Amino acid sequence: MITGTGAVCGAGLKIDSIWDALVQGRSAVAPLSRWDATAWPVKVAAEVTGVDNRTLVEDRKLHKLILRTDLFGIYAAGAAIQQSGLTAHRDALDPAAAVRFNDRCGVISGSGGGTYQNNYDFFPAFTAVAGDLKNFGAESCSTVNPMWLLRNLPNNVLCHVGIRHNFKGTNACITNQCVGGIMAVAEAAAAIRAGEADRAVAVGHDTPIDAETMLNYFQVGLMSPDALRPFDRRRNGTVFGEGAAAVMLEKAEEAAARGAVVLGEFLSSGCVAEATGVLKVRPDGDGLSRAIQVALDEAGLTADSVGMIVAHGNGTPASDASEAQALQRVFGKNLPPVTAFKWAFGHLIAASGILDLTLALKALEQKVVPGIPTLQSLDPEFSWLTVRPNAQPARSDVALVCCRGFGGMNVAVLVRAGTSPSGS
Amino acid sequence: MNPRRRVAITGIGMVTPVGHDAPTTWTNLRAGRGGLAAIRSFDASTFPTRIGAEVKDFDAQGRIGDRKLLKHASRSVRFALAAAAEAFADAGIRPEPHNGHRWGFTVGAGMMSVTLDELQTVHEFCGRSGEFDPAGLVNPQFLPDPVAFCRAQANSGLALLTQHFGIRGYATAVHTACASGGQALGTALKVIRRGHADCVLAGGYDSMLNPVGLTAFCLLGALSKDNENPERASRPFDATRNGFVLGEGAGFLILEEWQAARQRGAHIYAELAGDGNSLSSYRITDSPPSGDGPIQAMQQSLGDAGLTPQDLDYVNAHGTSTMMNDRSECAALRAVLGDRVGEVAVSSTKSCMGHLIAAAGAVEAGICALAIRDGIAPVNANYTQPDPDCNVSLVLGASRPLRIRAALSNSLGFGGSNSCLAFRQPED
Repeated sequence: MITGTGAVCGAGLKIDSIWDALVQGRSAVAPLSRWDATAWPVKVAAEVTGVDNRTLVEDRKLHKLILRTDLFGIYAAGAAIQQSGLTAHRDALDPAAAVRFNDRCGVISGSGGGTYQNNYDFFPAFTAVAGDLKNFGAESCSTVNPMWLLRNLPNNVLCHVGIRHNFKGTNACITNQCVGGIMAVAEAAAAIRAGEADRAVAVGHDTPIDAETMLNYFQVGLMSPDALRPFDRRRNGTVFGEGAAAVMLEKAEEAAARGAVVLGEFLSSGCVAEATGVLKVRPDGDGLSRAIQVALDEAGLTADSVGMIVAHGNGTPASDASEAQALQRVFGKNLPPVTAFKWAFGHLIAASGILDLTLALKALEQKVVPGIPTLQSLDPEFSWLTVRPNAQPARSDVALVCCRGFGGMNVAVLVRAGTSPSGS
Repeated sequence: MNPRRRVAITGIGMVTPVGHDAPTTWTNLRAGRGGLAAIRSFDASTFPTRIGAEVKDFDAQGRIGDRKLLKHASRSVRFALAAAAEAFADAGIRPEPHNGHRWGFTVGAGMMSVTLDELQTVHEFCGRSGEFDPAGLVNPQFLPDPVAFCRAQANSGLALLTQHFGIRGYATAVHTACASGGQALGTALKVIRRGHADCVLAGGYDSMLNPVGLTAFCLLGALSKDNENPERASRPFDATRNGFVLGEGAGFLILEEWQAARQRGAHIYAELAGDGNSLSSYRITDSPPSGDGPIQAMQQSLGDAGLTPQDLDYVNAHGTSTMMNDRSECAALRAVLGDRVGEVAVSSTKSCMGHLIAAAGAVEAGICALAIRDGIAPVNANYTQPDPDCNVSLVLGASRPLRIRAALSNSLGFGGSNSCLAFRQPED
């Protein structure tokens, strides 16, 4: 059962404000502010702006030990844990029970695994040696921050969430590019089902708005210069966002016993590779359709019981076209309303799927499938796709969330609406 | 409910500082022959630490063949491709078009990787002042290299290996620093148990033996500075130990659902029987002196495998040769083994091959499987002076014949992730 969610992205610092942006058609995609992009082929992104780091994580000492991506992850995980009320529950336990409780709390993170800018800390050393690499060691060891490696560990969010909340159970840091965050949710749920943990927080975080990353994505034809238009015939690539999202999961009996508000139920997941290398996707949507089928089979559901779909919809020509094929293959003429959210807050890479999942829960609660305002003209190649510029009603209380990434990765997750009022 | 699926280890592949394949690695570890020496792949003469455990004279072209694939593979992914190919050949089974979707892939992999040359080029265009200026990237003279971009991705190994071997099922890459390889194998075990795959290629690969990686570990003070005496620099549990020796390499195992492996008449090295996984949640750099964290991982692993300390004969320790890790790990071993602490053989094979970071847990899992097959506890080399804080039953002097009913392999990572895998003798 999902008893807490948290998120931060360009569209807001709370799930509710991000949701409001989605239903009101407000996009956080804006001209890049982090550097002068006048001469750049890509001029937009959905940055998190106007937020003091201490609003995200109060502990200033910690800021020196972690990167921006980690701040987002620690913040989102903290929000999910806070909303679940588990900390107060633990505080009421006797000391021995609290020790046992902590050992049974898992932490699973999905991390971007690093950006190019992390390595620029070595630039002063390159400048100092002026081409003579013999002296590189002496220079790098005296100019680079001694904590460089620790700041750059992909698993920092995992460690610091563990330390801050005293969670000490099963753990993993998934560095599987775009699908890392949503796989964290799937692995957290699997750990609880297999009895390895009684509860676990899953968090995905990433900061792809990095100059060299953006330029490389543009060079390989994946970046839009101006806007993210999922499934539109004029779609021309993705737009980056940044941030994090988190989900607190716990055993159904325990959530019921302590009277927790249930925001949703994790039903099942499918995770498959297309074996196509780093960048390629199969045009027939093979991987995604298999992932969805695995998830349906595991949940014991048929395609017609799915009430809405949050597509990956990253706005690149190849991914959107093959995603439409995959949905056609599984759902045929019985396709429920489909939407995609990245137009509003950009593509958060490792955090994208888990952020979509937290918002899918909100959509189920509100029984509203938000429209895609940047969709002006549906690509006639898949005219049957049920995406709309305006909101549609959900067909049932089950949502499918799709997430795709480099390496031919495809993940599908099924969630059901919560049974209690969310009190939002 | 169906009985839980069991998992067989049926193939092993390794590229390590003591051998470019598993048999050579194992022969050298048994003989206590080390791979620690002065670094020669780059000029390390002005680093505080100038020694490492390099994979020397690796013939990537000969081992991998496919030139295009080679171009897309970083140094560590090349190790991974070679080790994985060896594991498949050893197991005598490979994904086929009709069953590729039932094959999984789990890997403990390094961080995003950029070579020094690539970084130096960006420095020339964007960083001459020492500060990064993004304007240099849009200089028409600067040409981004899409192949280097693909190589740099944190999941590039996953992308290339699943493609090359035709693995179309569950796939994941995990990174919990030094615990990565162990956690990747633990994930594979769970994926087979829960039916998401029938066979998994599972392992780890890493290479941080480059000027950036070496700087990073030197700055943390984690490396031995025994530059004049590299052969003995890694001496886990010795009273005079003074840090680890940075290594590189890859290890992969073929894991199969037990009944299917039996039915096809596969040779089974050992059963991968249990996984334990905990967070110390203590301090980001420090291991808790009490062993809290590793204790839970080992206990869980034993419990998961249906074992007690009575059943254990061997532990392949994390044993990095740092003061702190070895003390903390021994405290955990004493707590978990109880009155069996004098009988269960313990060794750290990092004494010979250094610390393979994200690949360490995967290679060491392979070592445990070989130790079980051959009935040999490999030596904890380079040990001369006892440390009262490390009074466990070390395998000293030479490797020792020992019938191993069950073994554990520990991998304890920076940041407090602890992994412990349990293995069982297949005949028992």
